[in-house]
Amino acid sequence: MAKVTLESLHKQFGASVAVADFSLEIADGELVAFLGPSGCGKTTTLRMIAGFLAPSAGTIRIGGKDVTDLPVHKRDTGMVFQRYALFPHMTVAQNVAFGLEMHKVPAAERDGRIRNVLDMVRMASLRDRYPRQLSGGQQQRVAIARALAIQPKVFLLDEPLSNLDAKLRLEVREEIRALQQRLGLTTVFVTHDQEEALAVSDRMAIMHDGKVQQVGTPDAVYERPANRFVADFLGKMNFFQGGLAEGGVFGTAKGARIRVANDLAGARHVGVRPERVRLATAPSGGNALPGVVESTVYLGSQLEVRVKLESGEAILSQLANGSNGGADAGVGIGGTPTQAGTRVYACFEPADCVMFAD
Amino acid sequence: MNTSSSASTAASVSRPRPVRLGAGLAFPAALVVLLIIMVPLLQLVRYSFNHFDPTEMMQQAFTLENYTKFFADPYYRDVFLTTVGVAALCTVLALVLGFPVAYFLARTDSRHKSLYVILLVFPLMVGSVVRAAGWMVILGNAGIVNAVLKRLGLIDQSLQLMYTPTAVVVGTTAVVMPYLILTLQSVLEGMDFSVEEAARNLGADFFTTFRRVVLPIAAPGVAAGTMLVFILCMNAYATPVLLGGTGLTMMAPALYDQITRASNWPFGAAMALILVCATLLLALLSNWLIHRRYVKTMAS
Amino acid sequence: MLRRRARFPWARFLHRAFVALMYLFMLCPLIVVVWLSFFKDAILYFPPSGYTLQWYVKAWANEAFANGFVFSLQVALLAAVCGVVLGVMAALGITRYRFAGASSVNTMLLSPLLVPGIVAGIAIYLFYLRAENTLDRDIVGTYGGLVIAHVCLTIPWTVRLVTASMAGLDPSIEEAARNLGASGRVAFMRITLPMLRPAIVAAALFSFIVSFENLELSLSLVGPGHTTLPIAIMQYLEFNLDPTIAAVSSVQILLLGLIMLVTDRFVKLSQVV
Repeated sequence: MAKVTLESLHKQFGASVAVADFSLEIADGELVAFLGPSGCGKTTTLRMIAGFLAPSAGTIRIGGKDVTDLPVHKRDTGMVFQRYALFPHMTVAQNVAFGLEMHKVPAAERDGRIRNVLDMVRMASLRDRYPRQLSGGQQQRVAIARALAIQPKVFLLDEPLSNLDAKLRLEVREEIRALQQRLGLTTVFVTHDQEEALAVSDRMAIMHDGKVQQVGTPDAVYERPANRFVADFLGKMNFFQGGLAEGGVFGTAKGARIRVANDLAGARHVGVRPERVRLATAPSGGNALPGVVESTVYLGSQLEVRVKLESGEAILSQLANGSNGGADAGVGIGGTPTQAGTRVYACFEPADCVMFAD
Repeated sequence: MNTSSSASTAASVSRPRPVRLGAGLAFPAALVVLLIIMVPLLQLVRYSFNHFDPTEMMQQAFTLENYTKFFADPYYRDVFLTTVGVAALCTVLALVLGFPVAYFLARTDSRHKSLYVILLVFPLMVGSVVRAAGWMVILGNAGIVNAVLKRLGLIDQSLQLMYTPTAVVVGTTAVVMPYLILTLQSVLEGMDFSVEEAARNLGADFFTTFRRVVLPIAAPGVAAGTMLVFILCMNAYATPVLLGGTGLTMMAPALYDQITRASNWPFGAAMALILVCATLLLALLSNWLIHRRYVKTMAS
Repeated sequence: MLRRRARFPWARFLHRAFVALMYLFMLCPLIVVVWLSFFKDAILYFPPSGYTLQWYVKAWANEAFANGFVFSLQVALLAAVCGVVLGVMAALGITRYRFAGASSVNTMLLSPLLVPGIVAGIAIYLFYLRAENTLDRDIVGTYGGLVIAHVCLTIPWTVRLVTASMAGLDPSIEEAARNLGASGRVAFMRITLPMLRPAIVAAALFSFIVSFENLELSLSLVGPGHTTLPIAIMQYLEFNLDPTIAAVSSVQILLLGLIMLVTDRFVKLSQVV
């Protein structure tokens, strides 16, 4: 395992820029998720690390060594593909053996390694099956085993879970994370699913239109998003447009006044997460914006309440099922404040507000 | 974005090699086809402008007399029109008779479906001569049809079915129908079945659905399939010769005779060219017409 | 099957009956020929007085047919082998290496399928005559001359089958091989080529069929003592229709039918034809 360094990686196809000036250091044993909508450049970057694409500019180092000009088969990365890419004419064991043969692992050692890695993914009993005889989840596990067998310096995963059904996705996701941590694999995990990225990564790189928007740990990126794209892409965010009025107060364009915890000169938007917004019949907390309940969506474990504020903006409040605001006629399922037409106060703390310059 | 074959290294050294290798791999096959198909065809075109003298055979010239002779002579005009007529009739018959079969194959979920398809491909593999032989047995004076009719007491003397235009049409239609059915089947299968269900759900009965939904969507495939079949019918040789005899002369046998028996290469060459060009033009015309009728209505 | 309301159950039955009738229409010539080949009487007469296998023996004893069969086999085998070798190489060159004019070359390689057999046959015949004069050797009516012409039939089918197969391959499989340490060449030989094997085998078998049953192209190119089976059958049929020729035809039907069944194991023929 080794660290991976991307230095000003740039990829252009004709006039269109797929990846713009991407610099990142991935520590040894760290799992970094590349997250973003389709077309953001995350897969392009991954393929450059693997060697399938040559960068237009910039350098890639694995373990300190410059690999930018190295062909694919010499880079010692292990990749798991979105559609598994198992060799259809080979059995599970033969699929795994292939990489070992290419890396000139002595024959005596090969069997042991194959057995080890198949045990790790719990596919040892199916080693003589052909890919067409396996389910999607099983094929994916074989693909993982095959990539790990060669003991690569970097473990690359290209949306490995998107072809699996929901239940299986969770299972395989946890297995991948457990394996990665156990083996200390330096890993790049590409996905468009934010929940996946939040769940498995040590750090995340959010990408949009070829540019890296923010890099950080899951909680850092979620709680302190760098810009509106990140804030909106990860979870939901209530935005208010306006500007800083006097110290500690943000005046929205429609006239509401929101107390904020820190000053950001030139701030154009302020945001607060729906799960930080409580609804109460009487004002409480640092901010209490009056309004009327517009609609409610019941999502099983959560309740989403849309409130139209007196100032005219809409604010979304998210409540966990079973939460109870207490004696202050707080909100719970079936409690009065969630019915359409009820007058409520949307309450949240200044510390929960995030300021955006864009 | 498949760049795996050419982007394995950024070094420029290996880039010219793949291109040369690719061209090199394709070269031998291209050479054979060029030399054995392209060049002879060009020579044929050239010959069609030569002059033919009964005693001195072909002479170098640059004349259109072969072409004018063809269209001026009522016999050859007749041969041409007969060929077009037979081809058109067979194509239409194959289409009308074959469409229901194609629809059945496209929509069935029987376990035996692949068997049904194999049974269609099978006649295409064994060759037109053998199939024509079969029709000779069926339609001949001592053949099955006559034997059955006589047994049933419907006729006393054999009907002359062989060496008639009917025999040629029947035989040719039977030969080309599998091609059409297979083409139509794949077109219909490619169609989203739920479009038909949507139409039915909205109140259209079967025939309306067919006319207003299935046909227009299937039209391009139908056009391609009928074009193929029409070309095959125009170029037919074994079936017209064996089933038509002297009762019916078509272009392919006629031009073959000119070259081999009459040794009139220029005229035979001109006929060959007329056949190829006419076939292509008529096929493209029908293709265009079908597109105009159906594809346009979809676009508007 | 489109579920119709109970109002028209007979419509479905009628449809199926019609389909069966059409199948009969397309297949009856072949059924009849095979049936005839077992008739006891030498002259065509229905119903037959009995059945026998003697015509098959007689057919084999007939020199024209026996030689024709062997000759067709030889030509088809050689044309299939050459066509597949050249065609596979060409298909690889065109699909994997994007060189200038690749798609034009592809069209040219498929063009023999568009030319009518008779026209191609006489064009090649006249070309061979000219070549004979220039090169001062026999070409028309020779084994080699016929084989080369047949190769022009087998190349397009091979190119079609192999390029179609390559288009259906998942590119990430070869990428996976390279990621696991295989150089481009090794990945191709060990992973991609084996995945193309069914298409290549199918191309060989299909080419054999196409060459064996060919009539129009071969008509102008055969010589005395060198006739293909379809031509021998045709020449006989122009004068005679009897169980002997039915037996010969049945042999062709059986041979090509069997090969077709084998080919179908490798590639779905309905997509190709």
